[in-house]
Amino acid sequence: MLTYIAQQMVNGFVLGSMYALLALGMTVVYGILRLVNFAHGGLVTIGAFIFFYALSVLKINFVVTLVLAVLSGACLGFLLDFVAYRKLRGGPEVALLITSLGVYIFIENITKLLASPQPYAFRPPPLFLQRFTFKGIIFSNTDIFIVIAAVVIMVTFAVFVKRTKLGIAMRATAERIETARLMGINTNKVIVTAFVLGSAIATITGFMWGAKYGQISYDMGFMAGVKAFVATVIGGVGSIPGAMVGGFLLGFAEILLVGALPAGFAEYRDAFVFTILLIVLLLRPTGLMGRKEAL
Amino acid sequence: MSLLKVNNLHVAYGKIPAVTDLSFAVNDGQIVALVGANGAGKSTVLKTIVGVVKPISGSIFFSGTDITSWSADRRVRAGIVLVPEGRQIFTTLSVYENLLVGAYHRRDEQLRHDFEWVYTLFPVLKERAHQTAGTLSGGEQQMLALGRALMARPKLLLLDEPSLGLAPLVVREIYQMITNICKTGITVLLVEQNINIIIHLVDYVYVMQTGELKLHGTPQEVFTGEDIKRAYLGG
Amino acid sequence: MNTNFLFKHLKFLATATICYGLLLLANYTLDRYTLYIIALIGIYAIATSSLNLTNGYTGLFSLGHAGFMAIGAYVSTLLTFPVRLRIAYNLPLLPRFLGGPEFQWPFLPALIMGGLMAAIGALLVGITVLRLRGHYLSVASLGFMVIVTTLAKGLKDITRGAAGIQAIPHYANLWWIYGWLIITVYVIWRLLDSSYGRAMLAIRESEIAAQAQGINVTYYKIIAFVISAFFAGVAGGLYAHFARSIRPYEFSFSMTFYVVIMLIIGGSGTLLGPIIGATTITALKYALKPIEEGLKIYGLVEVIYAILLIVVMLWWPQGIAGGITFLKVLLLKRKKGGEENVRISAGKADGA
Repeated sequence: MLTYIAQQMVNGFVLGSMYALLALGMTVVYGILRLVNFAHGGLVTIGAFIFFYALSVLKINFVVTLVLAVLSGACLGFLLDFVAYRKLRGGPEVALLITSLGVYIFIENITKLLASPQPYAFRPPPLFLQRFTFKGIIFSNTDIFIVIAAVVIMVTFAVFVKRTKLGIAMRATAERIETARLMGINTNKVIVTAFVLGSAIATITGFMWGAKYGQISYDMGFMAGVKAFVATVIGGVGSIPGAMVGGFLLGFAEILLVGALPAGFAEYRDAFVFTILLIVLLLRPTGLMGRKEAL
Repeated sequence: MSLLKVNNLHVAYGKIPAVTDLSFAVNDGQIVALVGANGAGKSTVLKTIVGVVKPISGSIFFSGTDITSWSADRRVRAGIVLVPEGRQIFTTLSVYENLLVGAYHRRDEQLRHDFEWVYTLFPVLKERAHQTAGTLSGGEQQMLALGRALMARPKLLLLDEPSLGLAPLVVREIYQMITNICKTGITVLLVEQNINIIIHLVDYVYVMQTGELKLHGTPQEVFTGEDIKRAYLGG
Repeated sequence: MNTNFLFKHLKFLATATICYGLLLLANYTLDRYTLYIIALIGIYAIATSSLNLTNGYTGLFSLGHAGFMAIGAYVSTLLTFPVRLRIAYNLPLLPRFLGGPEFQWPFLPALIMGGLMAAIGALLVGITVLRLRGHYLSVASLGFMVIVTTLAKGLKDITRGAAGIQAIPHYANLWWIYGWLIITVYVIWRLLDSSYGRAMLAIRESEIAAQAQGINVTYYKIIAFVISAFFAGVAGGLYAHFARSIRPYEFSFSMTFYVVIMLIIGGSGTLLGPIIGATTITALKYALKPIEEGLKIYGLVEVIYAILLIVVMLWWPQGIAGGITFLKVLLLKRKKGGEENVRISAGKADGA
């Protein structure tokens, strides 16, 4: 029994790490633009497919793929902002939201078109598939990678945002964009940086998602994006540590639910995520650590 | 020579005129006040000078250069710094980080020196250097806002209602500090509704009403007589 | 009742009659396939018009429309399904308070009930999220849709799960569909003309300003949301009884996206926009379908839609209907050049 609980805890921790990373990627943009970037999920999909083609089809070395994928993700983020979002800056929030929706649908269907409507089996390099058992708890190298990568990225990001000039500028812009401009901060540059970072993170998350679930499909980004947002809301909108905490909590909650309920209810997983969202919005819309936004 | 010269400024928000045909000047080293009742357009003037609001027509000259077409961050780099209404400090950043952001556009090496200068002017900020700015009191936040503006090495410091929301004793302190700042050679243009405090502090006063310049002169000239009553309470 | 009121209603009546007249003509002259598409356009027009109420006029961005349509579809179907077929198809018999095991509902009440249930769902979601910022509503309404479809898939004993329900009686035809479209447009039109409508438009312009004017923003948002959901439910019910088959996956994000894009391209915030949008997008879909199937490039239609949406948002956010208004104003200005001067001097008198 104890082993079972411990196993679920470990599973929850791994899933939580991935969700925390997802939430981080989304919150970076959200914090500054107040935009729920639907396209974020799309970037996760693209990331997954880049890894897929590089690893399985072109048989490129993993480290090289990682670098390539992150760079591609960053470029895509920049492109995205440049093509779709830049023109709408300063306009109504809704316009950005609708456009990001359009971008997501575009990415989803382009993937469907160019790749396939059928899911692909995702095979990470053999090293990742190695499994270990520790006191009856099973985990694999993939799990270790997910946790370590997530922690490394989050810590790096935290340092960036606390210690570097650009990072502090990002925090200032996220709080008050008008005043930041008064300080001589080039808010455009800050926004672009946010997109680039968010997209790079999304790409890596795509690999994690594929490795964890063993398969990727053109529509995987949908739930990824949604869970990212829900994690952000739980943890507190606009708070970077909050987003990460929210991600962990969501991961744990999901594992607990799937573990606690009888098998037939597994498909309710997604609906469950949304129910949590609605409950949080009902009871505590600022989330656990969020700042008091003008609601 | 005038540090700042504003000529025939017309500013509107959409169709609603805010400032009509405004001309005035601020001389080097002065403290000048822009006063008037609520809605007179004073804040708009400051925002237009710093470049956040674009005028319909008119020109702005800074040290003899026409800056009317300049972007806000270019003006900041040139030395025009605004302390906005309500202070607008970054509450999620620490005191130190706020000051750092103030000096964001500067690339020179003098930063350390300026930190010392600001900390000398406002010892409280040094005490609370690593505290989150949101935990500071109203007066301390105002000092932080001023300090942040000073970090930008302004030549012209624009202050929008520095006394807003502060207790009278604190206001007095703040204005003492403003006077000290001016003594270091920085020119100050401030907007204030509370004329009592500034009567003895400023060199020159411009009175606005519904977007237009009604009166100007030294505080002694302006704040006596029927004219001021009329300007404030309307015809 | 003043003459203006009467006149406006007469205009509306005339338009409705013309519409019906055209339908009659179409019915006699066009082939079944085209008529099928026309009927679908009608259904989507209802869905899009109802979405217009929240997204276009009140400035809310709801993404859960498919969820309301699903509720309407399933509820109305479960009510009207012929008793003798229920057991064969594993569908439940109606409980006592809904008429008992020997009963099947006639179409109109079932349709309305579907709409009402959707409206109730909207009320619950609305109370939870409408007091918060726009994007909360977007994701929450999306979530609502996912919850609805998940339940539809999960409650197999009631809904037959993922297999869906087939052999639904073919109650909905062109007349029903367009009749309801006229009702929908009429209700929205009257709503906009009333104090409710003015409040909604004020909220769209600026929530803060509206609140400052004493408008209970949350109340009006909820009203818009609930009415919108009602008609979405009706659209869903009509869809079910026209297409004769419904499955949970049909009411997914894709369906919501279709309706959203119809609204944006047609022109949100106008009465005709949704109808134009529904026509354009549906026509486009059926025009492109043979290409998609022929070349086996699935997803082509959606890619084109997505690009269209982005392009419209960037360069032509008012949509087609907005473009028409723009042209009208342009032509009017050309004709009445002299009027400009009069208007300016009048303005000065006000401003001083």
